Amino acid sequence: MTEITEQNTVSEKFVPKPDLPPPPNTTGAIGWLRYNLFDGFLSSCLTVLSLIAIGFLCVNFYEWAFTKAVLEATNRQECRITPTEFGTCWAGVEFWFKRFIYGRYTDSEIWRVNSAAIILILWMVPVWLPRVTAKLNIALTGVLIFPFLAGYMFLGGERNWFMEIMVAVALGCFITVIVHSFLCLVTGSGISKWIIKLAGFAGRSERLHKVPVIVSAAIMFLISLFVINGVAFKEMSNNLWGGLFLTLVISGIGIATALPAGILLALGRRSKMTVIRVLCVAFIELFRSVPLITILFMATTMFPLFLPEGFHINKLASAIVAVCLFAAAYMAEVVRGGLQAIPKGQYEAAEAVGLTYWQSMGFIVMPQALKYMIPNIVSNFMGLFKDTTLVSIIGLYDLLGMINAVSQDPRWIGLHHEPLFTAAVIFFIGCFAMSKYSQHLERNLGAGHGR
Amino acid sequence: MNTKTETESNQLQSAASDEVAISMSKVNKWFGNFHVLKDIDLSIYKGERIVICGPSGSGKSTLIRCINRLEEHQDGDISVNGVTLDSNLKNIHAIRSDVGMVFQSFNLFPHLTVLENCTLAPVWVRNMTKTEAQEIAMEYLTRVKIPEQAEKYPGQLSGGQQQRVAIARSLCMNPQIMLFDEPTSALDPEMISEVLDVMIELAETGMTMLVVSHEMGFARRVADRVIFMDYGEIVEQNTPEEFFANPKSDRTKLFLSQILSH
Repeated sequence: MTEITEQNTVSEKFVPKPDLPPPPNTTGAIGWLRYNLFDGFLSSCLTVLSLIAIGFLCVNFYEWAFTKAVLEATNRQECRITPTEFGTCWAGVEFWFKRFIYGRYTDSEIWRVNSAAIILILWMVPVWLPRVTAKLNIALTGVLIFPFLAGYMFLGGERNWFMEIMVAVALGCFITVIVHSFLCLVTGSGISKWIIKLAGFAGRSERLHKVPVIVSAAIMFLISLFVINGVAFKEMSNNLWGGLFLTLVISGIGIATALPAGILLALGRRSKMTVIRVLCVAFIELFRSVPLITILFMATTMFPLFLPEGFHINKLASAIVAVCLFAAAYMAEVVRGGLQAIPKGQYEAAEAVGLTYWQSMGFIVMPQALKYMIPNIVSNFMGLFKDTTLVSIIGLYDLLGMINAVSQDPRWIGLHHEPLFTAAVIFFIGCFAMSKYSQHLERNLGAGHGR
Repeated sequence: MNTKTETESNQLQSAASDEVAISMSKVNKWFGNFHVLKDIDLSIYKGERIVICGPSGSGKSTLIRCINRLEEHQDGDISVNGVTLDSNLKNIHAIRSDVGMVFQSFNLFPHLTVLENCTLAPVWVRNMTKTEAQEIAMEYLTRVKIPEQAEKYPGQLSGGQQQRVAIARSLCMNPQIMLFDEPTSALDPEMISEVLDVMIELAETGMTMLVVSHEMGFARRVADRVIFMDYGEIVEQNTPEEFFANPKSDRTKLFLSQILSH
């Protein structure tokens, strides 16, 4: 060691050579163009041809979407721009737009659908706010309890005792989530800490802290029960539901059940218990091997044949169940793939510290596996979102079903392209948002973990 | 290598009592057709420190993994602190929460911070409150000399630090027995001593320890008994002085000459 340092002090100070500029035309815009577009004769030809093709498409699209656009008309005949040629009838899309979104839901009741959507957004937004605590609880109640409130708001009518309780619970949860998030944002500590503080339990042992929280939850429940007591909505039978609203209901329920059901099926498939494993494998293989459209037809036409006479099962309900089962089977294989990426040592370490099976799955294995699974899970969700359009074939008026129905309307007969283009844009926005969010999620979850 | 283990050769005072902590009788295990453990009879007393060595594939890891049922033995009896290991899940969980284990590849939970790694099991298995568990975790992290890393993720630590966290994680459960499965084999040479130092300090507290290791300096200094295994059998067991000075069987002599010659 000492020798080396002596040598360093004796020798001259090292001065690096100055940087030389890179060769011309290799950096900047010109460099990029040369490298990516005009790298040799063949690639230059391809670039020019592609530019011509793209230009041609753009000009034609511009002509279709803007030059020939007819923005005001009350029926398709008025959309002619010459006696023989139809223009691009955006007026038709505008005329039917409300139907594309809400289906045949009565106009005066549409506010219920909108309010449920707003409630869901308000419920879930806190999950993305960094200062809010107890995010898992918020998300779980949003997925498990909100559907009861939404279901009642959409459907209306009489409530039986079960719905009465669930709607009250959901309302109570919603108010709690909002108050909790507000307190977190403003004061930095959540609702349970405030309750403990206000009840004077702050000085007592941690095990007693549950008491005031449970009492206030009960009070909250009673208040919500009282609030909803006099409120009743007009019944809106679910054959009036339609459009994007119905698409979102089906795919939303499908997405919300597919992941937990898929996790259970995947764990079942890896179980050491033979009966459970065989059942799970049979379920997964059966539903993966049959096209969704077949399952939908079976659910709506064949299944009722097995039911006792006079027993009707709702078409929408059976379609939703079919979509859920199908999605769960696919999700199970995605989850199984993710589970296989977790090294055996993680299971062993979790077992060795004494965690039970469910604890080690919930705290150790799943959180890591889900991170690997995000791209596949989101692709599955996107697939499911788009696949729900198949329900239009069994006679449900989802977004695509509404578009087909519109083209049959006597005044607007033949209105196909414009609504389909609109639907494509709507689906693209939904799927692109999901895809971008999943990329964001991957980056965020990857941060801080090192290797 | 100039570690504390090899420079100071004074033997630790034996803390072994005559109370049996682990007893194994006629334990047999097969992996398919491969007979890994053959009629193992072994009693380990409370406070005893045992180093198990032997060539790879000799069944030494399998032996200690049977003690907390990471591997299932197919024949014979194992009892830990008087509880017999069978397929009863309750017994298995009781034994696992009393027996700590440190792995060759650390097996820390990469998605949790060092502190969360240490508090998870005490909170969920021992039903401690979070604050209690954190206090205990910080105490043990201080004992393994890395309290300042508590908020980091395992991936941000060096191998030696990760292994020390793994030791602290096991100790947080307040175990009565600690199993070490080649704890230094995956480490860079300059990190081995920091882990061994922690293990020596642990031995000084009177912990019952079973260590699968080829660190002969550690065995000399800490072990009450050295066990040599080959082909699934316990070939020889003796005090470290006797074991290294007068190995009895030819297989032991060959093994010792191989690992001590380099």
